[in-house]
Amino acid sequence: MRRKRMTDHPVAGALFVLPFFLVVVAFLVVPLGYAFWLSLSSRSLALGERFTGFDNYVRAFSDPVLLDGFLRVVVFGAVQIPVMLGIALAGALTLDAVTTRFAIAFRLIAFMPYAVPAVLGALMWGFLYSRTFGPFADLPTVVGGEPFDFFSTDLLLLSLGNIVTWAWTGYNMIVLYSALQAVPREMYEAALLDGATQVQIALRVKVPVIRQAIALAAIFTVIGTMQFFVEPYVMARFAPQISAGYTPNLYAYNQAFAYSDFHYSAAISFALGFVVFVAAYAFVLLTRKRRQS
Amino acid sequence: MLNRLRTFVAAVGLLAVAGCTGDPEDGTDGAGGPVRVTVWAWYPEFKGVVEAFNASHDDIQVDWTNVGTGPDQYAKLKTAFTAGTGAPDVAMVEFQQIPTFLILDALVDMGQYGAGEDEDLYAEWAWQQATDGDKVYAIPVDGGPMALMYRKDLFDQHGIPVPATWAEYAAAAEKMKAADPDAYIASFGSDGGWLNGLMWQAGCRPYGYSLTEARDRVKIDLTNPDCEKVVEFYGDLVERDLMATDPFFTADATAALDSGKYWTWAAAGWTPGYVAGSLKNTAGKWAVAPMPQWAEGEDAQGDWGGSTFTVTTQAKNPEAATVVARELFGTSEEAWDIGLNKAFLYPLVKDVASDPAFTGKAYEFFNGQKVNEIFVPVSEKLGDFDYTPFQDFVFGDLLDRCAEATSGTREWDTVLDATQDNVVDYAKKQGFTVE
Repeated sequence: MRRKRMTDHPVAGALFVLPFFLVVVAFLVVPLGYAFWLSLSSRSLALGERFTGFDNYVRAFSDPVLLDGFLRVVVFGAVQIPVMLGIALAGALTLDAVTTRFAIAFRLIAFMPYAVPAVLGALMWGFLYSRTFGPFADLPTVVGGEPFDFFSTDLLLLSLGNIVTWAWTGYNMIVLYSALQAVPREMYEAALLDGATQVQIALRVKVPVIRQAIALAAIFTVIGTMQFFVEPYVMARFAPQISAGYTPNLYAYNQAFAYSDFHYSAAISFALGFVVFVAAYAFVLLTRKRRQS
Repeated sequence: MLNRLRTFVAAVGLLAVAGCTGDPEDGTDGAGGPVRVTVWAWYPEFKGVVEAFNASHDDIQVDWTNVGTGPDQYAKLKTAFTAGTGAPDVAMVEFQQIPTFLILDALVDMGQYGAGEDEDLYAEWAWQQATDGDKVYAIPVDGGPMALMYRKDLFDQHGIPVPATWAEYAAAAEKMKAADPDAYIASFGSDGGWLNGLMWQAGCRPYGYSLTEARDRVKIDLTNPDCEKVVEFYGDLVERDLMATDPFFTADATAALDSGKYWTWAAAGWTPGYVAGSLKNTAGKWAVAPMPQWAEGEDAQGDWGGSTFTVTTQAKNPEAATVVARELFGTSEEAWDIGLNKAFLYPLVKDVASDPAFTGKAYEFFNGQKVNEIFVPVSEKLGDFDYTPFQDFVFGDLLDRCAEATSGTREWDTVLDATQDNVVDYAKKQGFTVE
């Protein structure tokens, strides 16, 4: 039925799609195409522009600075993503089990950091980490230790991870909480009747049921982590340890806007996009297989 | 996260394009109206300077936009030059960035519009950096001759003599540590221009480039002893915990200056005005002394910062734009009144700098000291200094290597070797012959 109606009004259908189509072409397809075209040529400062095919990609995948940055982001994600999603899941399960007015307020408060623009969030934490103005740096001195230097090489990734966790945990918590809300309550009732405790219900019933939502949140987080940019970019003014190639995206930014090498920057961006795509797709395949088995 | 930023960048780009297409092709308001010239600059208190220019010119009017400070503006300029559209007619550019924009074919030779006449107006070192032979690529505005800011009260109280040499400076740092274990002689502030000024003072001339002589030839010599001694001297102070490592202009560094945690700062002519407003507790306790010397009895000087006006190759009316670049500050008394007394620029116009109104000005922040009596001779003493056409990369890499050294993952005496290797490698990949 539905299909027939669609073909009855091909023009009207096309008109409805047109605005979306135009926006996608103008702001997604064309810039992507342009960037890819850029990445296929090189413009060295002294020699000018010339077509170099995939040379920029060869350079990218053998550039130690880029590979170091990539490794750093992977290490960062390996710790930060499980921690953040773990907290988010625990929070969502708690919210789902508790239905007081306090829970509603907590939901709102937990979500609030997500509403703070990332640049402001990073600046704010820059001050909170400050040895002069921040409340945390001097904590160890209470027990006679050395004050924290949150911008030192040792603590820098942790400091950045804390900012990201602060900003995104609430968001992920709400995503998982919404998924829990969609689960029919009868299922919990059945589990209760079978003698399951609240903890068992949470871990054995709720978590498996919303596994897809967890996987989705994980994929978005993996993608976001690979594109790590705003926090290190802002934090660099406090922390000289954040080098020009600290994360792949920061490196791409510096290549273009500091070193005027838009071509190599485009190649880095595409290479990064490709890696992110492969990683995300592999993750989907992995979780899907697990669900089937 | 990135998408939001992309949208923002795109929006800014669109605005910039819209701003330019709003003007007719020839930059006039139609028949008979004045020529309108767009300017990008981030000088403080610049609004009054623009108004003064517009009030004193009937045929040319300036439309000024502040698109961001330093790197932010350069990022937009580089985007505009790559895109072929979107750049202003006149852009503020710092000295160390001039070759970078030259090689992007972004700057107009103002010599063809008579700017060469201005040569005698400006400090020689500044004119040398702004020009290449007869070609005038920039009109100097302000500079940053360096001198030592120090806490006179603390030095006096502990009987520490004001250091005349760097060796005495290190000795003063030791005495300071003995007097106050929590204090530092200064901070190694992660600032390319600052470190460069210190190297300049040490006689280190690591770069060489002339677009007119050879577009693709560049000199990189960071490992010569005059450069090495600076990095090793400061590295030693950092390693002995006599020098802090907070980046300049952060809240931490400013608070440290204002709390007695830092006792000195090798600062520039513009620094007093820049910091005086935020150092409320220690105002009146600071004084300025000439820079410590590497060898006793020498009089070597350096510069940190400074900027110019350039005319871009996208200017619709380069002749009118040249007038704007030359006369926004130039010899305008009104502009310099704002520049000196509100924006606290250090003037590169010789007559303005040597005017008793400037040299004889007593600063409350320095307890009445006439600090320009120290800064002005420094600017007169400064010699030639060249930069590379990829100075962002050089400073970026140098600071990254220094950061490795401050965090203990690199020896200080390998910082310049590593930077030299990275820069030479980069230059070769960019198609340069390296000397």
